[in-house]
Amino acid sequence: MHLSRNALLSCQILAAHKLRTLLSLTGVVVGVGAVILMVSVGRGAEKRILDRIRSMGTDLIIVNAAPARLMIGRQRTVATVTTLTPGDARAIADECSFVVAAAPAVNKSLVVRWEGNNTTTTVTGIASDGFHIRNILLGSGRAFDAEEDRTRRRVAVLGPTVVKNVFGGADPVGQQIRVGTVPFEVIGVTRARGIDANGADQDDIVLVPLETALRRILNIPYLHTIYIQARDSQRLPRVEQEVRELLRQRQRLAEGRPDPFTIQNQTTLLKTQRETANSMTLLIGSVAGLALLVGGVGILAVMLISVRERTREIGLRRALGAQRRDVQIQFLLEAALLAGTGGVLGVLAGLAATRASAALGMWDTVFSWPAAALGFAFSVTVGLIFGIYPAVRASHLEPIAALRSE
Amino acid sequence: MIEIENLTKTYTKGAVTTEVLKGVSFRVAKGEFVAIMGSSGAGKSTLMNILGGLDQPTSGTYRLDGVDMARAGDDELSRIRNHKIGFVFQQFHLLDRADAMKNVMLPLIYAEGDGDSAARAEKALTAVGLAARKHHRPAELSGGEQQRVAIARALITDPGLLLADEPTGNLDTRNGLEVLGLFQRLHREGRTLILITHDRAVAEHARRLIVLKDGRIAEDEPVAQPRDAEAELKRLAADTPAAKPG
Repeated sequence: MHLSRNALLSCQILAAHKLRTLLSLTGVVVGVGAVILMVSVGRGAEKRILDRIRSMGTDLIIVNAAPARLMIGRQRTVATVTTLTPGDARAIADECSFVVAAAPAVNKSLVVRWEGNNTTTTVTGIASDGFHIRNILLGSGRAFDAEEDRTRRRVAVLGPTVVKNVFGGADPVGQQIRVGTVPFEVIGVTRARGIDANGADQDDIVLVPLETALRRILNIPYLHTIYIQARDSQRLPRVEQEVRELLRQRQRLAEGRPDPFTIQNQTTLLKTQRETANSMTLLIGSVAGLALLVGGVGILAVMLISVRERTREIGLRRALGAQRRDVQIQFLLEAALLAGTGGVLGVLAGLAATRASAALGMWDTVFSWPAAALGFAFSVTVGLIFGIYPAVRASHLEPIAALRSE
Repeated sequence: MIEIENLTKTYTKGAVTTEVLKGVSFRVAKGEFVAIMGSSGAGKSTLMNILGGLDQPTSGTYRLDGVDMARAGDDELSRIRNHKIGFVFQQFHLLDRADAMKNVMLPLIYAEGDGDSAARAEKALTAVGLAARKHHRPAELSGGEQQRVAIARALITDPGLLLADEPTGNLDTRNGLEVLGLFQRLHREGRTLILITHDRAVAEHARRLIVLKDGRIAEDEPVAQPRDAEAELKRLAADTPAAKPG
């Protein structure tokens, strides 16, 4: 069969049945478009997580003074542990070979007041290194230094959320606030950092020098957390091991007893998040794939109707010399043509929807060409698969019977 | 060219068996113009389908150009239909969506070899006098013109045999005569034609008449005085001088 001679005719026949062609296209367009949009949204979520890893630093290791458990991907503190000390932090910084710096820290939820306003927020006492280790940047004002930490100065750096809640629009730098009952001077405001991997607002925070927090606010001698900066993000497992051994040794833990602390690096935590995002993408993608399948059934229906309506044409073509195979190929090609056109339109629709949802700020999206290619390939495959049955049926019509049918 | 011997065809539908052809034998030589005539139910359509390679006989032999059609497979029959047989149907069977050129080119989709199909289609349309209407769709053509497009389609693969099944059945007298005139011209040019009809007046445009009756050949002889379609057309025009042109 001369395909090129027939292809144009097939196009004309499809174009002539506008409504039918349009209806069957719609299913494929929606299916392919949905697949692409969903994958793009999923990729967008993944990119946001990756960006977050970068903002936190991939070389960050966190030691928490509690045998924390991960429940549904979130961190739960189980009990108060009083064994982690500033001495541990110093030892880690001094003795572990791949550690650049370690910043001890404590956290407590407290009320912060300014004039008539107050808000409950997380007050973090942290060594001055902590700004660098945790990649906390200043939006205005300045951070506190080691000297201010040593002398237990009552200075505070606020997160943007606290500024918004307590100061409204006013400039907080130089103002006096009360943290609990203790007066503090605001010396700086951090840059916005957004939501962390656990879903907490990283900007709802008041940072004060560690010694100030230990002696003037909490009145405790132990730490909640040590933030560690590793020299090399490739060696995190090794550093973790080093830190674990050092801490167990310092705390004289017998072999076999569980760690009274938890060591996490951000990348493992975020990997879980990323996997969640991936499985989400997969799930939504499968639903979209179902839509595509429905589109395929649409093509099946259209091609079957087409076989019925075109019985005489099939009979005529057989009489004029078409072999069974020629008829099969023709119907398959028409199905593939339908699906292919639907695929192209679907890719365009997916692209448009992706752009639109990003522009409207509904989701972060990353348009994925592999997903577009996959969607297109899938639609053509669906078209071919659902085109086979009508094609075979068409080819098995008896030419005379087909010619005489009304 | 055509050798048919003791051909039978039996249809079985449930418990009922119908013998449509009961032993038909004849030969057609190259260049003959044969009419096969019979009333409905005489078996002429069945015979036409077998002659056209669209159906297989129950028994007997059918040779076309020496090829045993009963032994040919489905694909080979398709090939034979494509390049050895040109069909002309009562209902024209043109594709509504395609113009005259596309309709005429249809058999070339399935033909072997290349060549300029558009040029061949134009030549075939010129042969039936429709070169000027090549881009018209069937709906824009008269019945006679549609049948001439169908004849051009039958001619495009230059087949040895032209099979026409009631080609004038859906046409008025004038258009019918035009089609018959075309057949007579094709016959003069040396083509082999088989015309199937129930109408003796139509059949008498051929040179030989085979009459089927009850599945058997009742009569097979040359037409004593073949009608001349062109002369009849002239007479028709003279009789109705007030007839609208076109």
